[in-house]
Amino acid sequence: MKIIVLVKEVPDTYGDRKLNLETGLADRGASEAVIDEIGERALELALTYADANEGTEVALLSLAPEGATATIRKGLAMGAGSAIHVSDEALRGADLGLTAETLAAAVRRVGFDLVITGNVSTDGSGGMIPAMLAELLDVPHATGLSSVAISDGGVSGSRPVDAGVQTVSAKLPAVISITEALPGARFPNFKGIMAAKKKPLELLTLADLGITADNPEAARSIMLTVAERPPRAAGVKIIDEGDAGEKLADFLVENRLA
Amino acid sequence: MQPAPEHIAQALAPATSVVETVAETEPPATANAPAVTAAPASVAQSVAAERPVRPKAEARLYGTRTLGQWIRLVVLLGVGAVAAAAILVLAARGVTTLPGVPEFLARYPGEYSPPAAAESGFPWWAQWAHFMNIFMMVLIIRSGYQVRTQQKPPAFWTPKRGGKKISINLWLHQSLDILWLVNGLIFVMLLFTSGHWMRIIPTSWEVFPNALSALLQYMTLDWPVETGWVNYNSLQQLMYFLVVFIAAPLSAITGVRMSEFWPKNAKTLNKIYPVEVARAVHFPTMLFFVLFILIHVFLVFSTGALRNLNHMFGGTDVVNWVGFWLFAAAIAITVAGWYAARPIVLAPIAKLFGQVSSR
Repeated sequence: MKIIVLVKEVPDTYGDRKLNLETGLADRGASEAVIDEIGERALELALTYADANEGTEVALLSLAPEGATATIRKGLAMGAGSAIHVSDEALRGADLGLTAETLAAAVRRVGFDLVITGNVSTDGSGGMIPAMLAELLDVPHATGLSSVAISDGGVSGSRPVDAGVQTVSAKLPAVISITEALPGARFPNFKGIMAAKKKPLELLTLADLGITADNPEAARSIMLTVAERPPRAAGVKIIDEGDAGEKLADFLVENRLA
Repeated sequence: MQPAPEHIAQALAPATSVVETVAETEPPATANAPAVTAAPASVAQSVAAERPVRPKAEARLYGTRTLGQWIRLVVLLGVGAVAAAAILVLAARGVTTLPGVPEFLARYPGEYSPPAAAESGFPWWAQWAHFMNIFMMVLIIRSGYQVRTQQKPPAFWTPKRGGKKISINLWLHQSLDILWLVNGLIFVMLLFTSGHWMRIIPTSWEVFPNALSALLQYMTLDWPVETGWVNYNSLQQLMYFLVVFIAAPLSAITGVRMSEFWPKNAKTLNKIYPVEVARAVHFPTMLFFVLFILIHVFLVFSTGALRNLNHMFGGTDVVNWVGFWLFAAAIAITVAGWYAARPIVLAPIAKLFGQVSSR
C-alpha cells in the first residue's frame, strides 16, 4: 500500500506569529518554522500502520517555500520513506484552489492508495484542502476522523459530529483527514536522523506538474486589505447598587447581544 | 509560496471578478487563530499609514546594551571589584591590629585538633563519591537551569504507568537527582561507619571562633596553612558540613516538593509546607552551591594544586601529576556528559522508562 501524508510548514504557535502588512503573507522570518502538529499526527498514523504492515510505503508531500527542506527532512527522520516538495515562486500566496490543484497533480504523479491529511492547519485555518483534494482526485473522502482503521482495501473511522459520533468507511483509494484526537508524533531517533539524509526528497516545480498559476480563466481568491488585530479594550464593569439587573439588560440591548 | 494563511491570497486574476470570494470576515469577538481578518473593501484603510516609523540607524544592541556600554560596564565592575577587595583586605588587616585580636588569633589559630580516632587521608569511596558529585552536580544545575528558562522544551517524557507529561530536561534533572541522592546516602553511610565523619562534622564548639579566625586570615591574604590531608581548618569544616548536611538535603526536600513525587492531595501537609516556600528556597540553594564550587575550586588551585588534587583524586599526600591527570579525566568525562545531554542522546534512555514525544 502507498500512503501519502500531507505535511505543512507553519510558523510555530509557541511564539508570536506575524503577517506582512503589505503583502498579507505570513512573515516566515518572525517565528520558528515547524511541521504543523496535525501533519505530524497524520504521519504518526501512517507510520503506525506501516510498522505493523510490511510493504507499506509512506511518502510525504509538502507545498512549501524552498527553505522548508529541513522541516520536511524531520518527517523523513520520523520514518517516512520518501518526500515530494513542491516549490515554485508562482505559488507565493496561492489560494486554497491553486494549492489543492497543485497537491492533486503531485499526488496523481506518484500514485496512491490513501492520502492522510490533518483536518486544519494552525496558520491558515482553512480546513478545505482535504475536501478539495478528494474532489480533484475523484475519490471518497472521510473528514475529521478521531480514530482510524486502515485495512487492505478500505479505511474506516469515527467522526464526531454535533449530535454524536458517526462511523464512516470508504474503499481505497481515498482521502482522509484526521483530528488532534489521534496520537502525537514519535520522537525521531539517531538512526532515523542519519537515515533521513539518504532518503529520496524530490523537488518539483509547477512546470513539472503541468500547472499554470496565473491562468486568467480560473477564479482565485485574493486579499484586498490586511490589518493588525486591534489591542483588546478594557471591558465594562457593572457594580450592583440595586439596579444591576437593569444595567445588565441595558448593556446587552445596547450591544445587540440580547 | 505556501498558502499561509490560505484565505488571504494575492491577486492573480482581475480583482473585479473575485471580490465575493474574499468575504471571509469574522466578528472581532470570535476571531481567534488568524491574527488578521480580511476586511470588506469599503472599510479598507491605507495600510501604509499604519506602518511604524523606524528610528534612524540605531547602534547594534547585544542584549540590553551596545558594545561600548558593555565594555564600560565590565571595566567599571572590574575596577569596583578590585577596589572592594582592596578595602576588604585593608580592613581585615586593620582589624588584626586592634587590641585583643592578635591574642584571639593566637588562641584560635583557625583549626582545632581532631579527635584522636580521626583517620587522615581520603578513602577510595570518598574520592569516587566526589567524582560522581562533580559529574552529576554540573548536569543537575544545567538541566535545572534549562527547566527554569526554556519556554519550549525540545522533547517531553511521560511515565510508563501514565501521569503528567514533563519536559525531557526535567526528566533528566529528576533522574540525576535520584542518582545523586543515592550517591549521597551511600557516602553519608560510609562516612559514619568508617569514622571519617569526624573530618567534616565539628566535634568541638571551638569550631566557631576558629572559623572566624580562619576567615580573618583568608581576608588578610595571609592564608592559614593547608593541612587538608590530616585536618581541615574550621572554616573548611563548617562549609563542608553545610554543603553535605544542610544545603544538599535542603535542595532535595525543596525539589521533591515541586516534583510529581510529592503527594498533591495531602491537605494538611501541603498547608504546613506550601510549594511556594520550596520554590523560593530551591533556586537560592543552587546559587549557594555554585558560589561554594567557585570558592572551593579557586582555593584548591591556589593552595597547592597538585597536592590537593592528589588528595581527592589520587588518594595520596605526595606532590606529583597523578592527581592532576585523574582530575583532568574527571573533567573530560563531565564535559562529555554536558555535550551528550541533548535530546537525541537522552530520548533513547528516557524511552526505557516511559514515552518520549516531541510535543
